[in-house]
Amino acid sequence: MNAVLESIFAFLFKYRMVVFEKGDLTVGSPWPVAIVAVGVAAATMLVLAYLRLPATLRRRDRVVLTVLRLGVVGVLLIVLLRPMLVVATVVPQENFLAILVDDSRSMRIADLDGRKRGDVSQELLSPGERGLVDRLAERFKLRFFAFAGSTERVDGIEQLQFTGSATHLAQALERVRRELDPVPLAGVVLLSDGADNSETAVTETLLRLKAEGLPVYAVGLGRERFPKDIALGRVETPRTVLEGSSLVVELHIANTGFGGVRVTVQVESEGRIVSSQEIELPRSGQIATIPIQFPASEPGPRVFRFHVPPQLGELVAENNTREALIVVRRERQKILYFEGEPRFELKFVRRAVADDPNLQVVALLRTAENKFWRGDVDDAEELAAGFPKTREELFAYRGLIIGSVEASFFTPDQLRMISEFVSQRGGGLLMLGGRKAFTEGGYAGTAIADVLPVLLDGSMGEGESPVVEVRIQPTPVGSSHPATQVASSIDESTARWTELPALTTVNVVRSVKPGATTLLTGAAEGGDQFIVLASQRYGRGKALAFPVQDSWLWQMDMPLDDTTHETFWQQLLRWLVSGVPDPVDVVAARDRAAVGSAVPVTAVVADSAYLEVNGAEVTATITTPAGTEVTNRMEWNVETDGTYQMSLGVKERGLYKMRVEARRGPTLLGENHGYVHAAEPVDEFFDAELHPDLLQRLATETGGRYYTPSTVSGLPEDVQYTESGTTVREEMDLWDMPIIFLMLVVLVGTEWGYRRFQGLV
Amino acid sequence: MKTASGTDLWLMRSVRRVRMPRSLGVIMLGGVLVWSAPGSRGHAGHEVFPVPETSGAQFEQPPPGREFYFTRAVYSDFGGRRMGAWSTDFPKADRQFLIGLKHLTNIDAYEAENPVRLDDPKLKRYPFLYALEVGYMSLTDAEVRGLREYLLAGGFLVVDDFWGSLEWSNFETQIERVFPEYPIVDIGLDHPLLSTFYVVRDLLQVPNVWLGRSGGRTWERDGYTPAMRGIFDERGRLMVVINWNTDLGDAWEWAEDPWYPIKFSNFAYQMGVNMILYGMSH
Repeated sequence: MNAVLESIFAFLFKYRMVVFEKGDLTVGSPWPVAIVAVGVAAATMLVLAYLRLPATLRRRDRVVLTVLRLGVVGVLLIVLLRPMLVVATVVPQENFLAILVDDSRSMRIADLDGRKRGDVSQELLSPGERGLVDRLAERFKLRFFAFAGSTERVDGIEQLQFTGSATHLAQALERVRRELDPVPLAGVVLLSDGADNSETAVTETLLRLKAEGLPVYAVGLGRERFPKDIALGRVETPRTVLEGSSLVVELHIANTGFGGVRVTVQVESEGRIVSSQEIELPRSGQIATIPIQFPASEPGPRVFRFHVPPQLGELVAENNTREALIVVRRERQKILYFEGEPRFELKFVRRAVADDPNLQVVALLRTAENKFWRGDVDDAEELAAGFPKTREELFAYRGLIIGSVEASFFTPDQLRMISEFVSQRGGGLLMLGGRKAFTEGGYAGTAIADVLPVLLDGSMGEGESPVVEVRIQPTPVGSSHPATQVASSIDESTARWTELPALTTVNVVRSVKPGATTLLTGAAEGGDQFIVLASQRYGRGKALAFPVQDSWLWQMDMPLDDTTHETFWQQLLRWLVSGVPDPVDVVAARDRAAVGSAVPVTAVVADSAYLEVNGAEVTATITTPAGTEVTNRMEWNVETDGTYQMSLGVKERGLYKMRVEARRGPTLLGENHGYVHAAEPVDEFFDAELHPDLLQRLATETGGRYYTPSTVSGLPEDVQYTESGTTVREEMDLWDMPIIFLMLVVLVGTEWGYRRFQGLV
Repeated sequence: MKTASGTDLWLMRSVRRVRMPRSLGVIMLGGVLVWSAPGSRGHAGHEVFPVPETSGAQFEQPPPGREFYFTRAVYSDFGGRRMGAWSTDFPKADRQFLIGLKHLTNIDAYEAENPVRLDDPKLKRYPFLYALEVGYMSLTDAEVRGLREYLLAGGFLVVDDFWGSLEWSNFETQIERVFPEYPIVDIGLDHPLLSTFYVVRDLLQVPNVWLGRSGGRTWERDGYTPAMRGIFDERGRLMVVINWNTDLGDAWEWAEDPWYPIKFSNFAYQMGVNMILYGMSH
């Protein structure tokens, strides 16, 4: 209710709304039954009297006059009953009142008619004649608290700096509740924008406050919606990526007041702009997910900064920037490509990735029955006996491509092994189309069929299907998927797909499994649709299906300077092996942390068969931004196999590097690196509008009230009506409410006016 | 397959001794070989394949969907559209080799011949190409352009059955029009091509059917020593394999002939399989 309505209510009903909310209604007359009886008798007589009036009176006049008179009798009856409210009020100076003020950086936003939220809160709480604090101090002993990421007791409002890097509302209320638990606490006055960004929900705190009957009087500061703002909600990036990859990340971008405006998204790394993309902002108030493409060319841990230059009229510029830590790896990722028969696809895939320093496609080609040709092997022993027969041998690769090789070539154990390569080892599996692949290769019903993202029609049986020519086009997801980026921008890439020559397929693959993603489709002459590229997560890894057989046409049939084929295979295979775990995998709970915080770090340790290892000796050597080295032992988490944990204390800004080494006895199981970027937190400026919902919920569910700066003047009066603390019960007469007399005047006046108007006087 | 007459052998030797300028040699070779070219006189030992016109010739396209098509280069020669040097041993050599290839490997090869003109855009659909009798080759500009683009895109050309210095000189002139920037170099016996499927330790000189049956000399003209040469791109990728002073095609074509020595057929098949598997994997 706004301030004007509240004033009108208080004038008519004598008391503020809160008194009616808190109080219990009762009657003060010692003879209520007698009064009611007299009233009923008077009403009856009145009705009879009107019935006996001369018959010349019209029926309508008779009814109106009777009702008006009955109304007068009814109001008088109420007055005679002497209604009153019994309400608990605090005993002056017997109770404490906590005043909890938001001290976070978001309070610096100047969205209250050009004034900062923090300034308004300080002004409200400044001592002064008939000010909020003075009026509260008349009845309560006041205790001030400032809260942001943590909560501190302060002597006065002038100590607030509004520099806190987080808003942890639940923790703050909990702290106040506990600190003032021994004293009679009448309530908590909370001044905040409600932009809570802690990971702790307020629900539990709310329940405790309700249980203790401790009301929260919340004063919401700020605007519920900025008139003009652009906010980068979040950016979804991979943790690691191979050097030279073209990354596509999803940027969640919201705006108010800039709907349809074209802005530039810049991607910076090490102070250098690596990508600049013009985008059209979604409709005002909507959040859009926009794919942003940029190259990852410098190896090492890199902080990428996504930035939209502030636009004219924006109140908050800090939420126009997001940062993400991505580890750009320079290492050759070994992929085994097993081809069951000589095919040009093998030759051209090898050529496409030959210049990629980060991919090593080891080729195993069955040239005749039990005769194999090997390409790009590390030594004479590698694959000497053909396709790997042990998990250790197969799991040494990070990716596996299966070409045109019939399922019956593999032993049942090898089929299971390939399935586990994906689910357990976390590798990437890619099956190519061909006359001996998918259903035509007899894979329906095998362990590999479970892994694949496409549905194999087991009823078709093994054998050859007709050759179908298909024109490829990306799906909406495929247009912006990193695996299918074939040009330097998403728009160019989408256009390029339509220019490529048609391919052929001999595999009838028309549907994907639930949860799988279709990236490319192919349209045959006549409109038949085929799946051309689909992917899905399976266990720890991922599986892809590419059921066409001659992507080499994109190399042979395109102009010589066209590099689509090379780009496609490099992107596809890089994505295939992206995120494939090592025997030791290091994951920080947050890759960006505030100075002074602690980041949980987890290491997952496995052996060469990727079975989790418990009881290993896992040490983390931490290099701080200043260059100091500290070695920590990571503790085994007994609840999860192969998992070891530690907490990384972030004390200075910069990059923390962790080298984690796992040993079992003298055997080195593996080592890996993890990184945490310690920086100034920026959460305070995201989702920083006033959140009245949270504050209102806190207030209403605890028996308090929600105020804005314009209604807060009623707070001192409201706070005194509480059940919490030391209270007395007060009776408050209602018979003399102005509304009663107003009603009498209106009723009598209406009767008089009606009679005059109808000529009855 | 062709026969060597006394006249052209004499001419070859004369040319070798005089060391005339290459351009003049090509002109003379063109003039003389129009008369002696196989297309103009028919093919000894088997039915004569009707000579199609190389420019504008249309061949039936094989059905799609197979992994390998043994594709024969149809090129212009000194006879313009009449000689058909490209069609030497055609199509029996192709078909007979394919029978062996499918028997020896698990390659999904189309069973019949597949002649394609060098200036036909469809050539790029067949990344393996076989050309022979290139001593008579006289490419049009469109064929030069087509072959260059084909090879740079990733196509693989195997050249066979041309003999002696004069034919070499002509071929060299033609291929230099295709690749002025890449030299022709010897392929050593340690090259992976020679161990892709069969391990070949020595280069045999494979004679034509008549010389093979006779059991005498194996050379023709002044092509006494067989050679295997190649053209590599700037990344070291082999684009063209040149089998000079040898006739693998005849050995495939006459592999069933009891009078043709089996060692030559064996070697020819080994080389053929190796070259195809190398071309399909590298």
